[in-house]
Amino acid sequence: MTVEKLGVPTVPIITNTFEYAVKNAVSAKGMPNLRFAFIPHPVAYTPAEECRKKLLGDDPITGRKVLSEIIEGLTKPLTEEEKKAGLLERPRERLIGPDTPDNLQALFRDNGWTLYLPIVLPTEEKVAEMLKGTSHRPDEKVGEMQPSSPHEKWSYTVEQVAVNAVMAGARPEFLPVILAIASTGETSLFTSTNSFTAMVCVNGPIRREINMNSSIGAFGPFNHANAAIGCAWTLISKNLGNGGAPGRKYMGSQGQGHNYNNLCFAENEERLPPGWKPFHVQKGFKPEESVVSIFSGWSWSNMGGFETNKSNTIKRFFTYQTQCCGQTMVVDPLVADLLYKEGFKTKEQLNQWLKENVMFPQEYWGQMSGVGFGFGHPKELELARAGVEPYASWLKLPEGAVIPVPRNVDVNIMVAGGETNPYWQGGTLRYITSASVDRWR
Amino acid sequence: MAGEKKITVLNPLGQPPPIKLEPMAPRLDNLDGKTIYVVDVKFPASKPFGEELVKTLKEQYPGTTWLYREKIGSYFDDDPALWAEIKEKGHGMIQFIGH
Repeated sequence: MTVEKLGVPTVPIITNTFEYAVKNAVSAKGMPNLRFAFIPHPVAYTPAEECRKKLLGDDPITGRKVLSEIIEGLTKPLTEEEKKAGLLERPRERLIGPDTPDNLQALFRDNGWTLYLPIVLPTEEKVAEMLKGTSHRPDEKVGEMQPSSPHEKWSYTVEQVAVNAVMAGARPEFLPVILAIASTGETSLFTSTNSFTAMVCVNGPIRREINMNSSIGAFGPFNHANAAIGCAWTLISKNLGNGGAPGRKYMGSQGQGHNYNNLCFAENEERLPPGWKPFHVQKGFKPEESVVSIFSGWSWSNMGGFETNKSNTIKRFFTYQTQCCGQTMVVDPLVADLLYKEGFKTKEQLNQWLKENVMFPQEYWGQMSGVGFGFGHPKELELARAGVEPYASWLKLPEGAVIPVPRNVDVNIMVAGGETNPYWQGGTLRYITSASVDRWR
Repeated sequence: MAGEKKITVLNPLGQPPPIKLEPMAPRLDNLDGKTIYVVDVKFPASKPFGEELVKTLKEQYPGTTWLYREKIGSYFDDDPALWAEIKEKGHGMIQFIGH
């Protein structure tokens, strides 16, 4: 669309799997009739001969020749619709109904507004009760959210967040935590074809005020606040964040079970070893502040065998995590104690040791995730090719040599668990942001 | 169920922004003698498709100049310099996004 707006006719070629996604995106950006040519999915990792067949074949959406779609897309005169300019408002009705509760449950479910489980219907009475959990006005804007950058951002108010909190079965006292999550504008349902995991960690006094679980089964379905807050994040991501429609706004090929409540947990601050700061304090907040921290990435694993190999277990784990997007671990207090005795007197010391000692084969340097969504370290590769050290020497290393590829990526470390065994969980989640809960009380 | 009480609930959806409709660019009369950029967005493992695309277009429409160009950076990155070049030197653009 950028080039089309410059006055140059364009035709994007897209695989048919993404028909809705791209048409939806360009409609939202003001060019609903942009002329696409679609080819049968996929084309990545497809031999040239197969690509040629697809190009000489039919557009699977229109049934016309792909090449005809391309040529006519550039040459066929514009219709009156395609020439249109102006502003199109899209007002939303505040109320739905009246109808029976059963019919409304079905309506919400069939529209994809739920997690396909029964919800608490957001009647005006229930929402009014929920709003008692915050001092903020119902019509105050909380934020904007989108499932990924090609999609439009939707905005939402305190009342709209409260509606989704009711649906998730939350109590009014959970609302400031849910508002804090919503205020970040971060979705738990990233559009990507990879089935992203999301995680939310709660720190500070609010954990105890609402009886969150940071002990036995902290990640499991055993606590009202952990369950409802995590579930509310996904409802918000679907309903307020313009997300969640499979094949349209959500493309995760296999989907992600964690998205039911997004690994929502509280850090076990009371069982941190001496000198280990709560996660929110590491991020610049005061211990007495209540804070949510948001993470997102590809993988999450449950790990054992810590007693034998101690910190080397963690080093080995991250060595083999050669995927997007970051590095995060949540360790049982027993593991934290063992790490402390091993010499890691702060989380920062452990982080630094991992950054310096987790090595990857040199061949992954230009391929794997470095920071965020950047693939590899393209700038370092450029420097290497220009002879800048140490990159230039790394480039000359023989096949199989290892280098500290993830040295720029902090390992996020939190403590939770009930001390039934020294286990820990970790994966390639990236820390995204933290937000104050107290602001929303 | 007959006689079941009916209730009203709040809409759970957020507010989409207004859409600012943009007119599309005028189309070309024909492609003879024109320069059309074929831009690779650089989704991983899609280059063979792009190369085949340009090869096929050159075969089928030899009266047109088809210029294959890779966008800068990864497929997440914008490339304003390339867009400016296309505006200055090109008559049209085909952009492909592999997957």
